[in-house]
Amino acid sequence: MYKYFNNIFVAISSILKGMSITWRHMINIRKGNVTLQYPEERWPRPERDIGFDLDSYNVIRSRLHVDIDDCIGCLKCERVCPVQCIKIVTTKAETKGEDLPDIGHTGITSNGTKKALIVSRFDIDMSECCYCNLCVYPCPEECIYMTGGPNSHKHPIDYEFSQYDRNDLIYKFAKDVDDEKISKYVSKKIK
Amino acid sequence: MTVDNLINWFPFGTEWPVLTFVTAVIICALPVFLFIAVYALVAIYAELKISSFMQDKVGPMGQGVGLHAWKFGILQPVADALKLILKEDIIPDLADKKLFVMAPFVVFVGAFISFAALPFGQNIIIADMNIGIFYILAVGSLSVIGIILAGWSSNNKWSLYGGMRSAAQIISYEIPAGLSIISIVMLTGTLSMQGIIEFQSGTIWGVLPNWIIFNNPFSFIAFFIFFISGVAECNRTPFDIPEAESELVAGAFTEYSGMRYAFFFLSEYAEMFVISAIAVTAFLGGWNSPISGFMNSSGWGVFWFMLKSLSLIFLMIWFRWTLPRLRVDQLMSICWKVFLPFSLVNIFGVGIWSLLVG
Repeated sequence: MYKYFNNIFVAISSILKGMSITWRHMINIRKGNVTLQYPEERWPRPERDIGFDLDSYNVIRSRLHVDIDDCIGCLKCERVCPVQCIKIVTTKAETKGEDLPDIGHTGITSNGTKKALIVSRFDIDMSECCYCNLCVYPCPEECIYMTGGPNSHKHPIDYEFSQYDRNDLIYKFAKDVDDEKISKYVSKKIK
Repeated sequence: MTVDNLINWFPFGTEWPVLTFVTAVIICALPVFLFIAVYALVAIYAELKISSFMQDKVGPMGQGVGLHAWKFGILQPVADALKLILKEDIIPDLADKKLFVMAPFVVFVGAFISFAALPFGQNIIIADMNIGIFYILAVGSLSVIGIILAGWSSNNKWSLYGGMRSAAQIISYEIPAGLSIISIVMLTGTLSMQGIIEFQSGTIWGVLPNWIIFNNPFSFIAFFIFFISGVAECNRTPFDIPEAESELVAGAFTEYSGMRYAFFFLSEYAEMFVISAIAVTAFLGGWNSPISGFMNSSGWGVFWFMLKSLSLIFLMIWFRWTLPRLRVDQLMSICWKVFLPFSLVNIFGVGIWSLLVG
């Protein structure tokens, strides 16, 4: 008999205890809310420092970006890419280091290198990219890099680049010019 | 009785008696149906929000482009209802098609016709029968037939298990619920819903409202026995073993989709309201104001009735998101070993009380 009534007492008291817990959580929802309403608000991004040497090695695995005016078309990034997601087409220019304003070609990079090649296509398929950052190291002009992090002064961070169409994930960095226009400036030797 | 009043009020009642009768019934039934639909939307929204708040979430917030559930996700239940209406209505190949089609409507009718005797206000009642509460208890158990039909006709092991569990549960819990109501009827001496409410007007010692829950210690316990049995009859968590998601997929409703599932959903919420309304009528003074003489006109009666009912529905939602589901044997042992002896003692106690005090 004692067990029977004790059982009822335990049931009632534990129900009240549990219900008071849920009530407290419901009342304090403004303080206790853990949901982040993503497009409107984001968690703060932690500072990136996973490198071996914090000063020199500090990258963020975000979107790849190319400053096409600095690109000399050396194809080093295309060759090093383990998944072949970079496609570059270049043609030899007639004169080295000359600005060609009507096809948007800059003759001299920001490092002072005279460009010998016209980059007519520079596509990076970000749906294939494995974010290994390997293309960044060989670049002699430091024109291909991950956005944000240590490069945020060159390009703001962009890690949310979802698209409705997969083709929109192919980023075309070369100036959008007709091949005929470019062919005017192509070196005569090749022709 | 509103239907009779309408029939008498119609100018050509004697010439076309059938037409007049049907019109009068529809005029009474349509507002009830609309009320159930609107109330269900509100209750579903409340359930979504309250459950989220209790789990430290924000619930539907209506993120997205265009009219996407609007601010704070207020249109979320409307979107859910639209989705259920637009969904394909699937009837399984091996199902017993007639019964399968019939089942959701039987369940809904069971909840729907109970509204005929609910006293929303001093004058707002469709039929103030002299057997009001008996009628509600009688038709309230109609839904168990619908759930068994759904479970059987789906031709599916989960559905059948759900249907059988539901039958066992609802029939068991009718007994303590009915016995608690009997103790109320002994106290008030009437079965009419309005009569029970009128018994509860005034105050006890000028302080407490003269509600039956405060009338004596036995009716105080009877309220909880009735209310918890009512939650069990609604098949709501913690008594949701008929549709236990983790064991039986969705129990008797496994094979249902679209509009038919929506009807089950609607009738669950309607049944919640009916149980709360009976509890309010029988124990919490119906449309009487909690402070005697304060806002106690017939218009405010509707407000008090709805306020009390909705707070009991909130209590049900609170139960659901706090308590874990019971096992089948635990469910039955609570009913037969705890509620039944307690409600029998209650009847005895109320009898002695009304003999000595009342």
